[in-house]
Amino acid sequence: MNGPSIAWYLAVAAFLFGTGSLGVLLRRNPLIVLLSLEIMLNGANLALIAFARHLGDASGQIFALAVMAVAASEVVVGLGLIVALNRKRVPLDVDRLSSLRG
Amino acid sequence: MITGAWICLLSPLAAAGLITLAGERISRRTAGYVATISCFVAFGGALASFIGLLGRGGEERDVVSTAWTWLSGGSYRSGFEILVDPLSVMMMLIVSGVGGLIVAYSLGYMDGDDEERRYFAYMSLFVFSMLLLVQGGNLLLLLAGWGMVGLSSYLLIGHWHERPSAIAAAKKAFVMNAIGDATMALAFFLLIKEAGSLEFGILGGEYGSTTANLVALGLLGGAVAKSAQLPLQTWLPDAMEGPTPVSALIHAATMVTAGVYLIVRTHPIFEQAPAIADLAAGLGAGTLLLAGLIALVQVDIKRVIAYSTMSQIGYMFLGAGLGAYANGMFHLMTHAFFKALLFMAAGIVIHALAAEQDIRKMGGLRQLMPRTYQAFLVGSLALVGIFPFAGFFSKDSILAAAMDHGAYGYVLWVAGLAGTFLTGLYTFRLLFVVFWGEPSAFVREHFHAIKRDVVGVSMGATVGVLTVLSIIGGWIQFAPWWHPIETWLETVAEPLVSPEGWQEGVSIALSLVLGLGGIYIAWLAYGTRRVAVPRQLALQRMLERKFYFDELYDALFYRPTVWAAKKLYRWVEEPIISGTMRELGEETRDVGGLVARLQTGLLRTYALAIASSVAVLAIVFIAVK
Repeated sequence: MNGPSIAWYLAVAAFLFGTGSLGVLLRRNPLIVLLSLEIMLNGANLALIAFARHLGDASGQIFALAVMAVAASEVVVGLGLIVALNRKRVPLDVDRLSSLRG
Repeated sequence: MITGAWICLLSPLAAAGLITLAGERISRRTAGYVATISCFVAFGGALASFIGLLGRGGEERDVVSTAWTWLSGGSYRSGFEILVDPLSVMMMLIVSGVGGLIVAYSLGYMDGDDEERRYFAYMSLFVFSMLLLVQGGNLLLLLAGWGMVGLSSYLLIGHWHERPSAIAAAKKAFVMNAIGDATMALAFFLLIKEAGSLEFGILGGEYGSTTANLVALGLLGGAVAKSAQLPLQTWLPDAMEGPTPVSALIHAATMVTAGVYLIVRTHPIFEQAPAIADLAAGLGAGTLLLAGLIALVQVDIKRVIAYSTMSQIGYMFLGAGLGAYANGMFHLMTHAFFKALLFMAAGIVIHALAAEQDIRKMGGLRQLMPRTYQAFLVGSLALVGIFPFAGFFSKDSILAAAMDHGAYGYVLWVAGLAGTFLTGLYTFRLLFVVFWGEPSAFVREHFHAIKRDVVGVSMGATVGVLTVLSIIGGWIQFAPWWHPIETWLETVAEPLVSPEGWQEGVSIALSLVLGLGGIYIAWLAYGTRRVAVPRQLALQRMLERKFYFDELYDALFYRPTVWAAKKLYRWVEEPIISGTMRELGEETRDVGGLVARLQTGLLRTYALAIASSVAVLAIVFIAVK
């Protein structure tokens, strides 16, 4: 087994995930929120692939492929929504998009 | 013969179905002709059955025809079967014959009514129901016919459904009859429990005295409700809200006679329960006196005749209760003739006076409509029982039969004689007030003669036929000299009483004298107005309010029910049931309001909540492990 040990991979994955979640929690522009979400997903993907490789089991990689497919469709929907919001001249700020308040 | 009976039963039903299905595709008059023809076809069928029975020996006159097994469960089995025996054939002839004449009369009377087709469909249904009642081959079918008669009468009494009073009267008739239906059904349940069947044959079996009494009492309850006897009589006068031919049909051919038929048909059970049979006779006697008294003060031409019906049915109950079945049935037949005649003649009067029924506004119609006057006179004489008109022969033999029933019989006999006097008085009061004297202002203003067109022919010809029947119809039987009806019914219902010749004689003489006495007093007071009518305000008011029966039932049943319902609403429905529901709803909404605060609408709060929850879960997971 060559290359760095699995801990490094996991550390990078955790860093990506943490960055993404901070972005989701702190940023107010929906576009950036969406990008941060993608970063979180990629962090998770990295962990999946690293474990697959570590354990010699291909199912982790297949699972990562499935996550990518879901992420792609999610981005399509999310970006579509954001474009629609922009066209209606709704401010692109998640704190002001709060009409679903109970 | 049996085919005739089936035709008799089904042709009015076919007419009702045809008129209903054809709807506006046939003209109103065609609907009337269809109904009329179906009734006369039914009469033809009844006649064929009658002739068929005549050709048989006395013991073989009992034919049952089963179409299919109607109901079966366990060992219980009931067929859709009709019975042709002397009793049912006699009823078939009366129902379809007199009923047919009345439907034919309606052709003229209902001419121009907005809902003629519906009327004729219901009339046919009514005749069918009554035929089912009398032809039904077991008690269950009898009950089915019984209920359908109640339904048809409800539909017809409420024919003019835009009048609130007609709707109220229809409902009253239906509810009163339903009480009787219920007691009958209870009696049948008891019979099924005891004998396991509802064939007529089981009525002759041996029962314990309690069972026999209860069954007879249940049947009597049905009979008094349908025949408007004490204590369920209050619906009959109100039923006058229906069109006049409906009144004639209810009173003469169908419905009210059903009670008498029921007692005669189920007489074996009444013979096992003599106390109940005596009760039936007593109720009849009570009703005939009560109705006779009330009739004295009524001012509506149809209501006077309605009370006379109650009174005459009282005589039939008296006869049937004492075991003089043939006499009761004979009176039923003659009564059908002259009561239909009286109603139809009254209908002509009402028709000629633009639907006015108050006799205080009438007077002097003798000169204006002499033929109607003659018909009405014949009907009145027959009703009072004056020789040689129909009522004379039948009423007197019931009275004579009462003399052959011990001391109790003599009490009933006296009541019956008093009733004869009252009959003479109220009948001729009506006749004199309506037809004698000078035409009143109202009559001069509103009278219009009936023209000699289809309307006139339909009304005139049928009244003519009934006039003839009311004159000669009684001669069929003249006890004690000849009694073909008694012989005819002997195989079905053997009479329990056989009055002596002298008893017949005394009854005939006394009732004739008393009837004539009643007429004479009516003539003094209302014909010549030589004697002033005594003013007894308290008594008069009591009679006008019909002995306060309506008020009594109102106080006994209606008001307590309404009171209880209101209290239940106030103390149970409102606080407990509605309150619970209301509180549940409000609480749910309050809790919802609290939970809704979590829903901030801010995306980042949700994300934080998810992230922190996952973090907490992860920490817990690791710590537990």
